Amino acid sequence: MALPKLEELSRSVAEDPSMATGSVPTREWMDIPVVFKSGNYAYPAKKDKVEYLNSQKGLSFPNARVWSPEEDDWKLPENWKEIILNGLKERLDKFRSLKIFMDCCVRCGACADKCHFFLGTGDPKNMPVLRAELLRSVYRNDFTLAGKLLGKMAGGREMTVGVLKEWFMYAYQCTECRRCSVFCPYGIDTAEITMMLRELLHTVGIGINWILEPASNSNRTGNHMGLQPHTFKDNVEFLVDDVERLTGRRPNITFNRKGAEILFITPSADVFAEPGLYTAMGYLILFEALGLDYTWSTYASEGGNFGLFTNNEMMKKLNAKMYAEAERLKVRYIIGGECGHMWRVLHQYMDTMNGPADFLEVPKSPITGTVFNNAASTKMIHITEFTADLIKNGKLKLDKSRNSHIKATWHDSCNTARAMGLMDEPRYVLDHVVDWVEMPENTIREQTFCCGSGTGLNTDEIMELRMRAGLPRANAVKHVHDKHGVNMLACVCAIDRATLTSLMNYWNPDVRVCGLSELVGNAIVLDGETREELDDGLRTL
Amino acid sequence: MIVLLDFSLTEISRVAWRIAVAESLREQADLAEALRCHRQKIVERWVKYALSSYQSPDFFLREGDPFANPIGGAMRQAFDRLLPLLAQKPERLEFSEILRQFVQIRAVQGLVPSQALAPIYAVKHILRDILAADKERAALVANLYDFDFAVDIAALAAFDMYMESRERLYATRLAELKSGRHILTDGGCPSKTLHPVGDDG
Repeated sequence: MALPKLEELSRSVAEDPSMATGSVPTREWMDIPVVFKSGNYAYPAKKDKVEYLNSQKGLSFPNARVWSPEEDDWKLPENWKEIILNGLKERLDKFRSLKIFMDCCVRCGACADKCHFFLGTGDPKNMPVLRAELLRSVYRNDFTLAGKLLGKMAGGREMTVGVLKEWFMYAYQCTECRRCSVFCPYGIDTAEITMMLRELLHTVGIGINWILEPASNSNRTGNHMGLQPHTFKDNVEFLVDDVERLTGRRPNITFNRKGAEILFITPSADVFAEPGLYTAMGYLILFEALGLDYTWSTYASEGGNFGLFTNNEMMKKLNAKMYAEAERLKVRYIIGGECGHMWRVLHQYMDTMNGPADFLEVPKSPITGTVFNNAASTKMIHITEFTADLIKNGKLKLDKSRNSHIKATWHDSCNTARAMGLMDEPRYVLDHVVDWVEMPENTIREQTFCCGSGTGLNTDEIMELRMRAGLPRANAVKHVHDKHGVNMLACVCAIDRATLTSLMNYWNPDVRVCGLSELVGNAIVLDGETREELDDGLRTL
Repeated sequence: MIVLLDFSLTEISRVAWRIAVAESLREQADLAEALRCHRQKIVERWVKYALSSYQSPDFFLREGDPFANPIGGAMRQAFDRLLPLLAQKPERLEFSEILRQFVQIRAVQGLVPSQALAPIYAVKHILRDILAADKERAALVANLYDFDFAVDIAALAAFDMYMESRERLYATRLAELKSGRHILTDGGCPSKTLHPVGDDG
């Protein structure tokens, strides 16, 4: 028996398909146009930022203008189609991986249900296979014989303004987290397809402000915030004051010191915004406990690399800055703080862009003597590797009870977990500093779910989109909160610390977010300290 | 005589009330039994209906792991827990707790409120359809007033939560703005204000 009333109920509420959901589609995916409306797109880049970037040596960000995705006319260059197709040809020739990714997908569907955007929206164009198909269909049409002869029958489609708009919509509904790649039997890196889509969009002047302005700031002053050297220095010194107030020990810090053994580079958010500030205080306490010979730099004052979210040239330039500073200061090697994409750029792209960094030495811990051969080429080690080694060698005095107000769980940040394999070290550190539990197995380690706001999507105008993309992660946190009373979500990524805070505010308001080094800083017992009972660790007012 | 009559009327109304209560309890028990008996079928159809509002629902329907499939998992869990309560007279708060995750999800999926919460009402129609096909229980269809009323209360609780979710979303956005992170793109170094726009000094 049919359910006429139920059908009426559906009709009465589903007349207008929404962006992500709506009535059951009656058309082929290729024929469903994207609709931009307030809240479903990130704001376009400001004209002056694009002009500035385009004026820089080695960078190309053309067609600076004021435009809106909601208007029909995106003010594209007259020959936009030619630019896009030539750009695609150039990249197919330049990147063999792209050519392989375009050709070898057999549409098995293994990736389809692995994307957090798909899991949070049910929108088929968020299946990685279909998102890649947005580019692949154009590739087939113009670059394969079958597509040239058979067109749509061979899965090809002509490059139109509608297709370009679709690229913009979905290239910015992918956080390049690479979870789908873990499940692809061919190892197709769908993140790199998104990277190509974004590169191509930039060739005709389509980009978002939340990415291009930090990239431009980084290029100009060395960090996303646009902090100039004196301000950066002041901010770190404020944190030194805070550590002294809480522990009675004043960390000794230096800036731009030539001849220091180690250059320390971390995301600028660590010295600027909560909860990263507490992570930075953790670094200061750790280094003070060791008496480490290290320096901060007010020029390489940013670990993050928003170039990764724009194009190769920008990524290369921002990565090179860190090494130029290491060379200038004549340090032996670099320790990197809790950042996400800094490490992805370093492990996946740095060697062929700017490496190997032969002017530096293979990192060797001055405290334990451990040589980090895993960083023999990049000469840069992660603060967590460094800390885990210290703990293993019994070089830190830790009082785990100082974190007794915390029941933690661990979020494997996509870039550090999937792109650099940092999975056991943070767990080893956690075991020694805090009581913690794992989230369900299919949401951690290689299978970790993204925060939902990576790759420069952590802007507030798309908050709803971010909340649904972060649902799979929040859902796993909810489980350990309900079952084990977890009240802290720890991670090693500055974007995570900021975006997971918002994600938790919406989905699990009882759970706060912290960096791993904050927990380490809470637990370290400094010689000569006068630390009183701190109910909330380094966050105690 | 008047006293006697009055006594008799009171007695009669008492008996009638008892019968009515017994009848009502029996119906309630019958409905509860029907919901127990058809629980899986009702929940399956309810979930299927709710998921049909997504463009590509097959995976959400198929995958049973709630961590691999948070939308399908949340719906299945919410409806499965909600159904038996609809044959009782539960507190509104119980409905709220059960529906929280479902409503939170629907509140951030670009749906208008009626689209977001319509699936809750669907169970009225699904239950009638299933009972009508069950010869032993078909008679229950005529007397689902209490059940419908419970669904309405659940839906009202969901509307409150929908609004609460939207307010929390805006509060989250505000908290992010207040955290100062907007300076990442909208401000820059304080000293920058000393220079004219476009001057990168």
